[in-house]
Amino acid sequence: MFGSVEELQKKLAACDYITDRHVVTIVYLALKLQKPLLVEGPAGVGKTELAKVLAQATNSRLIRLQCYEGLDEAKALYEWNYQKQLLRLHVAQTQSKDWEEAKQDIFTPEFLLRRPLLEALSSEEPVVLLIDEVDKSDEEFESFLLEILSDYQVTIPELGTVRSNHIPVVVLTSNSSREFGDALKRRCIHLYLDYPTFERELDIIHLKVPGIKDCLAQQIVSFVQVLRKQRLKKAPSIAETIDWARSIMTLGSKVVDEEIVQGTLNILLKYQSDIDKIYNKVSSLLPKM
Amino acid sequence: MEEKILEFGRLLRKGGLSISFSQIADALRATAEVGFQFKDFYQALACTMICEKADKPLFDKMFRLFFLTLPVSQHDRKNGDGQLVNTENAGYFIELARSAEGIGQGRGGGASPALLLVKAVRDGNYSLLNQLAQLAFKSLGNSKREDLANLEQLIVQAKVSIGWYEAVNRLERIREKEKVNEITYSRWLECLNYLEDRIKELLEEYFVITFGQDALEEIASAANIREKEFYQLNNIEIDEIRKRITKLARKLASKYARRYRRAKHGEIDMRRTVRNALKTGGTPVCLRYRKKKLSKPEIVLLCDVSGSVAVFSEFMLQLVYTIQNRFRSVRSFLFVDRIEEVTNYFHNKDIEAALQEAFSKAHFSYSGFSDYGKVFTIFATKYLSSISPKSTLIILGDARNNWRSDEKDFLKQISEHVRKVLWFNPQPQSTWDSEDSIMKVYAPYCRQVFECRNLAQLEEVIEAIL
Repeated sequence: MFGSVEELQKKLAACDYITDRHVVTIVYLALKLQKPLLVEGPAGVGKTELAKVLAQATNSRLIRLQCYEGLDEAKALYEWNYQKQLLRLHVAQTQSKDWEEAKQDIFTPEFLLRRPLLEALSSEEPVVLLIDEVDKSDEEFESFLLEILSDYQVTIPELGTVRSNHIPVVVLTSNSSREFGDALKRRCIHLYLDYPTFERELDIIHLKVPGIKDCLAQQIVSFVQVLRKQRLKKAPSIAETIDWARSIMTLGSKVVDEEIVQGTLNILLKYQSDIDKIYNKVSSLLPKM
Repeated sequence: MEEKILEFGRLLRKGGLSISFSQIADALRATAEVGFQFKDFYQALACTMICEKADKPLFDKMFRLFFLTLPVSQHDRKNGDGQLVNTENAGYFIELARSAEGIGQGRGGGASPALLLVKAVRDGNYSLLNQLAQLAFKSLGNSKREDLANLEQLIVQAKVSIGWYEAVNRLERIREKEKVNEITYSRWLECLNYLEDRIKELLEEYFVITFGQDALEEIASAANIREKEFYQLNNIEIDEIRKRITKLARKLASKYARRYRRAKHGEIDMRRTVRNALKTGGTPVCLRYRKKKLSKPEIVLLCDVSGSVAVFSEFMLQLVYTIQNRFRSVRSFLFVDRIEEVTNYFHNKDIEAALQEAFSKAHFSYSGFSDYGKVFTIFATKYLSSISPKSTLIILGDARNNWRSDEKDFLKQISEHVRKVLWFNPQPQSTWDSEDSIMKVYAPYCRQVFECRNLAQLEEVIEAIL
């Protein structure tokens, strides 16, 4: 698929995803070793984005499974379409077919509702399977997932075993709101995505907010970077930096000063207690000009 | 190279990471993919071997010491021929380390190291800091192999030699005088931390270079935070353990929740089943079950908070209050030579804040030396009547009574009143009953006495009260 780490990095960059080489190395390894990639890190550093871009870069279809509490096999793997089956039986009754025949009719792929996991396994083309926020799912689901991720096949009693043609690229993301079992962790390649460095974030701002002046971008990024070092309930993420940069552009401000920051602080910080904490300290946190 | 990676995995296990065989296999495959170019090699090992972010610092350290510091000759040495250790080679490394942009006695000249240090920190001059670290390291001279056990002391010595404490003092004064803002101050702290880490790194490198594999393994086991004795922890490690305790608590909570979910109902409730069967003409169509009751113990914690035991007591309180809903009630008492109930501090409060408040406000110490006899006397006369006979009483302490009267009759009275008494002792079992420790006097009145010196043991004993 990719011959080298550099090639992958170029591909990702072409899809507007700028990242450090070590991140690319790990992604490259996950692809090469055909193992699921477990991406952890604070909210808003581009975990989900990574999977999307990866699909784009590898010309594969992205299949996304969003996890939530109570997610079960029926929602993740497959389910029989009961309504349609009933309807079929009803029709069959009028034609007075016997049970065996009817059974042949209703347990066919036609009545199968494919959920993301089955979709990914049975796909003809290469796919990237994004299992988003695994930490939100229940532990039962985790062990079920483990089974799928180890052999990339699933058995449907009425139809037989579905084996994947291509081993899908699996990306799991997590905000670590729950601990995973050791088994799942062992099976994955780990990638910890952290907040970007100053230069990276600057690059990202230039890319995502076209037309921004370099000196303004620098001020924005250095303020955000300082902010992240404070003890906050939730530190601003990249998405928030971008939003903030856009708002400052919209307000037409040329520099980042105390007044501007105080007025727009709620874009960067999402908790009132954080805002209160920072509000009066803004001037001491601003980069010197 | 395969052998090296296997060896490295073994070393990490010694350091307390759990590395499975499949992880090693992945690491081997991964390194084969990316080759041995330094940065890629590092990433390949890191992404396959580190399972948790918390393990990264240890991994980095062992990686540095194992792959970069350990003299090559040591690896290739076969058949355990110890004499082959290339001392010349090792000496060369040390020279290299020491002469590297050495600050030299000459250049220090007029300025004392302390002033230089202040300057370096204020300017954020990392190369100067680096030189200071070298200087501090050099001042120690050649350490012996046994000194590795007292690494912390060596670091303090090294810090003294460059006037660390004087410099910190000066910086504090400057901070007050010049009203230094918070960012700058946090930058200073970063500098100081860097310097301290650097000294430690130099020392560890020195030991690994001079004494080889053997020293490296000792460093690895010393870094194993789960096996580290509570009273030896430094502040960073205490924070780390706090985090791990929160995690442990979460694990315990979910573990029992799951167990409870599985066994949702107990045996058949005949009375309700028959009563319900009336509706269906006497045929019991629906069975009724008794609800299974989760046994919720009542816990009373008596925590010695004198000296070295304080850290342990704090961990235990944190753990117990984090899984509070696993207990019907938790009452906690702090003592040194007096005892006071601190349960109220923990009502609807952040645990950390509550701990701080309890430690600063409660009256539990007059002389600062623990007096178990006195404490048991007060507890038995003042509080015992309000303690439920169903409770489990847990005593956290080292049973060091400072040669005071033991008043074991009061402990006897207490143990007869409650369901059981458990004693968690944070000191090594070998030191019990030596000096002023009178564990054996109290032990007969306890259902069980546990040694609880480190996190690994704490994980075990916590099961005993659930």
